[in-house]
Amino acid sequence: MTSASLARPAERPRKPPRSLLGPAGIAAFLLITYWAVSSEFGIGLDLGAIVKDLDRGQVILADVLRPDFGFFERTIPAMLETIQMAIIATAIGCGIALPAAFLASRVTAPNAFVLRVDRGVLNVIRALPDLLYAMIFVAALSIGPLAGIMALILFNLGVIAKLLSETIDGVDTGPIEAARAAGAARVQTIRTAVYPQVLPNYVAFSLYVLELNIRASTVLGLVGAGGIGRLLNLQIGFGNYDNVGFIILELFLLVFAIELLSISLRRRLV
Amino acid sequence: MIDFKNASVTYPGGVHALRDLTLQIPDGEMVVIVGLSGAGKSTLIRAINGLVPLTGGDVTVDGKSVAKARGGELRRIRSRIGMIFQTFNLVKRTTVLNNVLMGRLHATPTWRSLVGRYRPGDVEIAMRALERVGIVEKAYVRAANLSGGQQQRVGIARALAQEPKIILADEPVASLDPPTSHMVMRDLQRINRELGITTIVNLHFLDLAKVYGDRIIGMRDGQLVYDGSGAQADENVFRDIYGRSLTADDVLEAAATR
Amino acid sequence: MTASVIPLPRRPEAPSRTKRNLTVLATLALLVWALLSVDAELDRLVDLPARLASMFDRMFLPPDWDYFGTAAAAMVASIQMAWIGTLIGAVISLPLGFFGARNVSSGPVSNMVRLFLNAVRAFPELVLAVVVFVPIAGLGPVAGTLAIGVHSVGTLGKLTAEAVEGIDPGPVEAARATGARPLQVQRWGVIPQVLPEVVAFWLYRFEINLRAAAVLGIVGAGGIGQILSNTLEYRRFDKAGMAILIIIVATILIDYISGTVRRRIIEGSGARRIQGDVLEQPELVEVPASPLSERGRAMARVDTDVG
Ligand SMILES: Nc1ncnc2c1ncn2[C@@H]1O[C@H](COP(=O)(O)OP(=O)(O)OP(=O)(O)O)[C@@H](O)[C@H]1O
Ligand SMILES: [Mg+2]
Repeated sequence: MTSASLARPAERPRKPPRSLLGPAGIAAFLLITYWAVSSEFGIGLDLGAIVKDLDRGQVILADVLRPDFGFFERTIPAMLETIQMAIIATAIGCGIALPAAFLASRVTAPNAFVLRVDRGVLNVIRALPDLLYAMIFVAALSIGPLAGIMALILFNLGVIAKLLSETIDGVDTGPIEAARAAGAARVQTIRTAVYPQVLPNYVAFSLYVLELNIRASTVLGLVGAGGIGRLLNLQIGFGNYDNVGFIILELFLLVFAIELLSISLRRRLV
Repeated sequence: MIDFKNASVTYPGGVHALRDLTLQIPDGEMVVIVGLSGAGKSTLIRAINGLVPLTGGDVTVDGKSVAKARGGELRRIRSRIGMIFQTFNLVKRTTVLNNVLMGRLHATPTWRSLVGRYRPGDVEIAMRALERVGIVEKAYVRAANLSGGQQQRVGIARALAQEPKIILADEPVASLDPPTSHMVMRDLQRINRELGITTIVNLHFLDLAKVYGDRIIGMRDGQLVYDGSGAQADENVFRDIYGRSLTADDVLEAAATR
Repeated sequence: MTASVIPLPRRPEAPSRTKRNLTVLATLALLVWALLSVDAELDRLVDLPARLASMFDRMFLPPDWDYFGTAAAAMVASIQMAWIGTLIGAVISLPLGFFGARNVSSGPVSNMVRLFLNAVRAFPELVLAVVVFVPIAGLGPVAGTLAIGVHSVGTLGKLTAEAVEGIDPGPVEAARATGARPLQVQRWGVIPQVLPEVVAFWLYRFEINLRAAAVLGIVGAGGIGQILSNTLEYRRFDKAGMAILIIIVATILIDYISGTVRRRIIEGSGARRIQGDVLEQPELVEVPASPLSERGRAMARVDTDVG
């Protein structure tokens, strides 16, 4: 801090290039968007035409927003089926996901080979939407809730294994070292040093997946995979949009109820 | 008896953390290892139970080579060596008792540990270990709810529950305040004297080393530069080990008063 | 030594596990009920492996390569639907997110906006497509795109509002202190803080929307889903296999690209790390529409120390 530093004023730094928001990035963004919107290359989105035809949807939407509560009784069996499917798929999917997650985490996988294979399989599983699984299982098993359950199991496996393995990646590794130093075998180490750390998350994820399963039931029924969606599909076909509205409302409330349940359950288990 | 024969450790990055070390530690000794940060103290300690594999030479515990042991053989050796860590390494979300029971895993069949049902005899051993460090009343408390000093005692109880012949402690008091540090060090000393467990402790603070080390081993740059009794180790000796003059940071009481 | 005279502290009683056990028991009972009462003909599971094996055989060994062009074109349409749908969702949700955030908007306004966002999210894309957009826009990708867009407004709006609520109030105060006008405060005090996070949400949403766009065709709303439902229905498994292959490859590829960009945005900006591992990577899991708005996050967030 003497005359030396005063003599030469520091050069002003040049403005650093803005990585992703630079001109190239913006150009690419605009180009992709134009390509996707245009009628030659893309989907041909014409907002003017849509605004003009907006009233065509109005009648239906008005019906949906005026749900028919008298429909409640007839939804009960399908609703129960949805709940049953969701519970079964959650239990099995989360059960399989637990070991799959341990094999998919750097912290707990026995070796790099197993890690890569397991992650690869999980990535493929997650690449396909639940509805596509439902279609495949319907094709293999014919229509009915069994196809839906199988589809949900795969969907749950993908979601939970991913979330849980990332949680495992972040655990405190100190206890693992302690268990190894105490002469514990691998499985014992995982059970005593890792599992207790991720248990609360595992429970939370499982309850979350239960809820996703209830939501998914709306659409599973569209392809014949059982549950309330089948009824929904029927009502759409008949044009009974007030019943459609009621089903959506009912699902919304069911999800709400599950949330309340899961909050109290997590408090107790964790 | 722990026996290092020309032991070397070179880490993947090319750091020579242990260079051709030859050292014997007979049963029942209380040894304190001192040295600058990066001198290789942790590496030395972790080589004894095979957490760090040797890249040359050998280390044997009671005649069994740790370097050559694999799988079940290595786990058997480790089961006789308790370890205590600077950051306690407890599973914070579970109870104190469950943490201490980790010391019994080597004697527990896998299925029992999977369902979390330890044998009553093992629970008894864990309880007695907790009694020895004086926190048995916390047995069913979550580890996260204990103070640092209490957590380190749980760590000691976990090591004791192994019923070990040797205890390794890697900077066990570095995360604790001075009075607590002394309490934990006294615990270790008592365990060494009463149970005859060989105890090897890495320490940062020289005054602690002098008080508690029956034998002091000085490390610098992966090599043994001092080996003698705690009584002999005066300021000049430490200056030699550190290769620089001592500062207030090297002494617990001084560090505490700042 | 006096220490030995002092009696040892008594060992504590093991705490009661009844409550916990009851909860576990109740959960198991629920599962048993579901298994026993579901009308699922579980015995059909016996020949499922054989059927799946033969389907796999017909789908992929080999797939119908001649069908590649048709299926790939349909997948491109799905990608375009997801892109535009996400864009629509992003553009509309950004201001809504600000109005929905309690700390920059007013109480009543934010409550109204949140209620609206939650209601929108209650409608899955497929239902929106069937009930609203196919009637308006006719069969085809435009209907699907709009369905994706509207549903995304709900999810993105909520995430944006929460991101805005989580900002550091310091810079906002600082901007105010310089005498900036309200819009300027938003632009320089709030947007720089939330933009990286929000853009990352857009990209996640794009990944999720890609999956939605792959199936919307089932109800005639465009994209590769149409092909899937047709080929599977007419049991042309070799063609379906080709389509599935394309979906897998395209999805994994786009996930990868999007994930890389996302990471660059979050790291490059030095944006505050979102708590826990999970929200940072809420990969392809849609945070549920919920009347309890905070809860989606609370669920996904790793609460490092419970009790
Ligand atoms: N896993 C590892 N990979 C690469 N290098 C390592 C690893 N662990 C330690 N080292 C290096 O080996 C040398 C010795 O490390 P060690 O941990 O044994 O030192 P230490 O004496 O315990 O130091 P401190 O007092 O800081 O704990 C250091 O230079 C360190 O950087
Ligand atoms: Mg060290």
